Amino acid sequence: MKGGWPRRLLAAHAALVYLFLYAPIAILVVFSFNASRQTAFWTGFTLDWYRRLLGNELLFRAVRNSLVVAGAATVLAVLLGTPAALALARYPFRGRRATQALLYLPVIITEVVLGAALVTFFGAVQLRLSLWTVVIAHVVFSVSYVAIVVRARLAGLDPALEEAARDLGAGPFETFRRVTLPLATPGILASALLVFTLSIDDYVITSFVAGVGATTLPLHIYSMLKVGVTPEVNAVSTLLLAGTVILIVLAHRLLGKGQP
Amino acid sequence: MKKGFLLLAALLLASCGKSPSARQVNVYIWTNYLPKEVIEDFQRRTGITVNVDTYDSNEAVLAKLQSGVADYDVVVPSDYMLKTLIPQGLVRSLDRARLPHFKNLDPRFLDQKYDPGNAHSVPYVWGTTGIGYDKKKLGPIDSWRALFDPKYAGRILMLDDPREAFGAALKLMGKSINEKDPAVLRQAAEMLKAQKKLVRTYNSSDFANLLAAGDVDLAQGWNGELAEVVSHAPDRLAYVVPKEGGTLWIDNLAIPKGARNLDAAYAFIDYVLEPEAAAKIVNGIHYAGANQAALPLIDQKIRQDPAIYAPKEVLDRCELIEDLGKTTQLIDQLWTEVKAQ
Repeated sequence: MKGGWPRRLLAAHAALVYLFLYAPIAILVVFSFNASRQTAFWTGFTLDWYRRLLGNELLFRAVRNSLVVAGAATVLAVLLGTPAALALARYPFRGRRATQALLYLPVIITEVVLGAALVTFFGAVQLRLSLWTVVIAHVVFSVSYVAIVVRARLAGLDPALEEAARDLGAGPFETFRRVTLPLATPGILASALLVFTLSIDDYVITSFVAGVGATTLPLHIYSMLKVGVTPEVNAVSTLLLAGTVILIVLAHRLLGKGQP
Repeated sequence: MKKGFLLLAALLLASCGKSPSARQVNVYIWTNYLPKEVIEDFQRRTGITVNVDTYDSNEAVLAKLQSGVADYDVVVPSDYMLKTLIPQGLVRSLDRARLPHFKNLDPRFLDQKYDPGNAHSVPYVWGTTGIGYDKKKLGPIDSWRALFDPKYAGRILMLDDPREAFGAALKLMGKSINEKDPAVLRQAAEMLKAQKKLVRTYNSSDFANLLAAGDVDLAQGWNGELAEVVSHAPDRLAYVVPKEGGTLWIDNLAIPKGARNLDAAYAFIDYVLEPEAAAKIVNGIHYAGANQAALPLIDQKIRQDPAIYAPKEVLDRCELIEDLGKTTQLIDQLWTEVKAQ
């Protein structure tokens, strides 16, 4: 076989990369069914950790908080970020470049700094920390992601399509509703997915701004570290992973439909 | 867009700005520090709802209280953190008249340097630093010397924490863990440098699991995590506070400056000082409580577990880690030398 060994080498390299990426996750899933409390040995199969999960109110509340925050932050960030992306992509206005640069700031800025800044801000306006301050904080960094992703999508669209719609007699709103928005939808969905994932993951900023009753899943898992990670954490991570995979598959289907 | 923001802000303000009901207490506490049945019993008895949030470090408490907008009524900082919180005025001074059960506390944990006269805090649980080890392989161990014994080369784990590592060396030298004499500290650093080639790893987060997995046979560590792995393999593993003594830590209940449910906070603190509640807490969380009156009600197994309740003569030789001021820099520098060798 001509060029056989470089090919095989490449395949082996790819396999190693995937192993590197997925082996820890696979181990996490496997050990969520481990009968032993220790994460070091396999002693037998059990569903006990999932059963204990059902009885763990604090953990459940943390999952619920995470879903509420991620859901609310996603909706708000998309509602605020999409118009921003449209404005930046389509309309020249004074200070556009500055606005654009400022949009990148929350993405670039260190999370610790953003968290500290937000908590100082909440202190200055005397807004008591709660689940809503977490939502606000997540919207702050999420809007930028939405604006950047949606803007990239809009930049890739042929302006001739919108011009054609207007030539054919569509008003600005109709052009937006029937041409621009459907074309931008894959970008909006992708950004929503990204924001949801970022929000459900976030520890640093959340740890600064969470108030009474606002312990999210990452906060809860970190706080469990003091007594050691139990397979209960593996179990809840596995469930979360399953949820994420379902979301991604759904998103892929949706995006696939949007494109011919 | 600006309008939208204002509307959003107004909505959020309206939803969080409502005044708290008098019948709740917001508790910010370490994970696994408050058993469910204790919360339920308190709620049944007083009608006060307990909202529990958990944190993973003392620094988290500091950050929350410094924000000035955290809505917590009871927090549980460790000894050294109170030393920071009290001068900054972040916790209230306590009205002892509202805590009639304060008298149940063991005087050994009262009136410490971090809060003289317990004007701001009430000791809750305490613990020690010691050695977790494989007793099946090594036989009984009772001294920090074991961690410096060439016999165990490559089987030793040390906490990746300068004060704890120096603490072990200083205690072995018969000195205080709060020693400030640079000459003595340099001597301790030499011991740690000589020890380094025996040490398999420096680790402060996963030490108990590494011991349980058999990666090391001797692990310096905090008693909570070690007691946990020992309880799952009591035939193989053991925990000991060396006879020279180790570090002692105390976690304390305190009321933040801005607490809005003051009556409920006092009711809650006094409730956990009752012998029955205090015993339920210790039985549920497997940490030693500071409550003397609760001792007879605590499970014998827990009461007599030296990994949880260090024997009195050992405890007498344990010390709280104190702020060393400028000496901290010297220790950090010496520790860097040890690690960089």
